Amino acid sequence: MIEVKDLVRTFKSGDRTIKPVNGVSFELEQGTLASIVGKSGSGKSTLLSLLGALDKPTSGDVVVNGVSLAGMPDGKLTEYRRRDIGFVFQQFNLVPNLSALDNVMLPMEFAGVRKATRAERARALLEQVQLDPDKHGRRINRLSGGEQQRVAIARALANEPKLILADEPTGNLDEQTGEHIIELLSSLSRDHNTTILVVTHDRTLANKTDRRFRLQQGRLAEEPVRGRAAEPAAV
Amino acid sequence: MSVLARSVGNAFRNKVRTAAVVAVLAVAIGLALAMLVANQAVGAKVQELNASVGTVLTVNPAGVQGFEGGGEPLTAEQAATAADVPNVTAVVGTKALRLRNATEAAAQTAAGTLAGPGGGQGGPGGQTTTTLTTSLTAAVDAGTLGARNQDSSGTTGTTGSTGTTGTTGTTQPARSLPITATGTGAVVDSTGKALVLTSGTGLGDYTAESTKALLGTTLAEKNNLKVGSTFTINSKTFTVAGMFDAGTTFGNNALYVTLPTAQTLAELPGELSTMIVTVDSMENVDTAKTALQNALGTDKADVTQGQRNLETAVTSLDSVKNISMVAFIAALGTAGLIILLIMVMLVRERRREIGVLKAIGAPNRTIGLQFVLEALVLVALGSVVGAVIASFASGGIASALVSSSTSTTAAPAGQRGGGFAGAADGFPGGQGGPFGGASQLLTSVTASVSPGILAAGIAAVFGVAIIGALVPALLTARIRPIEVLRGE
Repeated sequence: MIEVKDLVRTFKSGDRTIKPVNGVSFELEQGTLASIVGKSGSGKSTLLSLLGALDKPTSGDVVVNGVSLAGMPDGKLTEYRRRDIGFVFQQFNLVPNLSALDNVMLPMEFAGVRKATRAERARALLEQVQLDPDKHGRRINRLSGGEQQRVAIARALANEPKLILADEPTGNLDEQTGEHIIELLSSLSRDHNTTILVVTHDRTLANKTDRRFRLQQGRLAEEPVRGRAAEPAAV
Repeated sequence: MSVLARSVGNAFRNKVRTAAVVAVLAVAIGLALAMLVANQAVGAKVQELNASVGTVLTVNPAGVQGFEGGGEPLTAEQAATAADVPNVTAVVGTKALRLRNATEAAAQTAAGTLAGPGGGQGGPGGQTTTTLTTSLTAAVDAGTLGARNQDSSGTTGTTGSTGTTGTTGTTQPARSLPITATGTGAVVDSTGKALVLTSGTGLGDYTAESTKALLGTTLAEKNNLKVGSTFTINSKTFTVAGMFDAGTTFGNNALYVTLPTAQTLAELPGELSTMIVTVDSMENVDTAKTALQNALGTDKADVTQGQRNLETAVTSLDSVKNISMVAFIAALGTAGLIILLIMVMLVRERRREIGVLKAIGAPNRTIGLQFVLEALVLVALGSVVGAVIASFASGGIASALVSSSTSTTAAPAGQRGGGFAGAADGFPGGQGGPFGGASQLLTSVTASVSPGILAAGIAAVFGVAIIGALVPALLTARIRPIEVLRGE
């Protein structure tokens, strides 16, 4: 379970203070597929960074399965990211001189998974995201944007994290592959009890999530999805 | 893919840049290794000089130098007097003998070409050399120079009055050079330097009854002798106890027997040709020389520092050694600096990638290690090329350093030496400049790249490279993933 408690993140820009995240609170049960929508620059990515321990909040706290991230030392935060979080970045952020397979194996290497196991698992994940097996050994910079996105998703799944944070995961995919990725994320949350929080402009994806939030001027509001009534949400 | 494999891959990510970095590193590392090799070579030479010739004084009968002059021979009593002089650590007496092949000597006597006993054939005016016959044949052919010298010595020899041209119209038998035999009190050559034995042992007991001899390698080879073989001097049979390599053709056409044996053969017991006096340190050589001269008397003995200029030479070599060590450290530092700058550049260039690795859970130590290993890959490549450069350049660099230093120090000293030529030191035809003999010793500094030195040098390079790479590796720890990913 993820509990977000009155999360605030401010930045100084000259004399101005910007608050992309301003008192955000919500809870997500384990296995939920949720989405955050909002205009560009509304603070969606900043919120994702705070949840993924890439950034530290100005105030507030994120509690994951009862463990508070506030005040956690950098080493522990790295361990948290390695063990509990899977990131899918908007710009993929893959290592360009490594192959697709090597990129997927990286998080497993950092987690100390045996070489044979990680190669086997990386291949399975790449097949799961429908990357042509002929391209598993191909360098990232020789793959198309859509293929790179699929590798990035496979990498996020590598260590079977409890929480996947995805920034526009279908943004660079064609409709058919996008549909497949949405199905994949849905099945992960449903079958593997993985919590998935997606930042997206894709209405199709947002509508297929269990819960949908809108971030506006740093404040979060939950919207109804799939005809379901919006659950009470802390705003 | 392991950290090492990823580091190797990263090192070749930009091949053109890698080649350029390796080339620059190779020059720095090659220079460092060449300087280390030069340093070791010069250091070994200094040690060698200090250990032998540099602290050795030679005592000759007053008025004698080489094969010229006159005066009274040295005695065992004078050797004892010399041993009591302060700072003198050892006195080795020698007795020089000149051996001629018995068969050739007989033939030349029959042909009238050999002067009387002790004369002709290089009869050494005031030199206390005694000529004896032997079953050995000289390993050096007389040649033009030998024939000319023998003609000259035959006409000028003090006792050679029976002519050198022999009977008019008689065909003269081929001449050969004499063999130098030295009776010695220790296994050292005429400069006090330890003989380099290539086989066998030393002379053992230094008694008059000893029949052991050490032969120069070429002399032994010429006469088909091995350790244990026998030969004769004046009908007395000697056994080859060992063979030595003096490093020169002339030096290897010689043999050594014990001093008492040589004195017995010459029938001149207690008489010495020279004394080799070793002083405890180079600093005390001048003092000991003066004291020795006073103790023996200026009219009885001439005390010379055979390699007087060696002090200057050693000082010069010491400065070369210091320069090469400073250059080694500088080149090493340069290599470290190159690595530091390259790795800082790479870290800055890959900030985003480092941020991503951290975002997906890479510990700081893994990322730091990756950069250190990448630096070491570059250094390893640079070391291989550098070692090749050093193996070709170290000899030239050592020679250039030595000759540069020699010419710098020789100029003012040469003026001093020129003024005293043939007067103070009394070395006719020799030791003209202060580097007359030393320059040869200096140029004999040979820089060879031994695996040990190479390994030590490369280890030092790797040590410096690790330090150089640690700084940028630590910089990676300060990169926060959000800072580089915020651009999104």
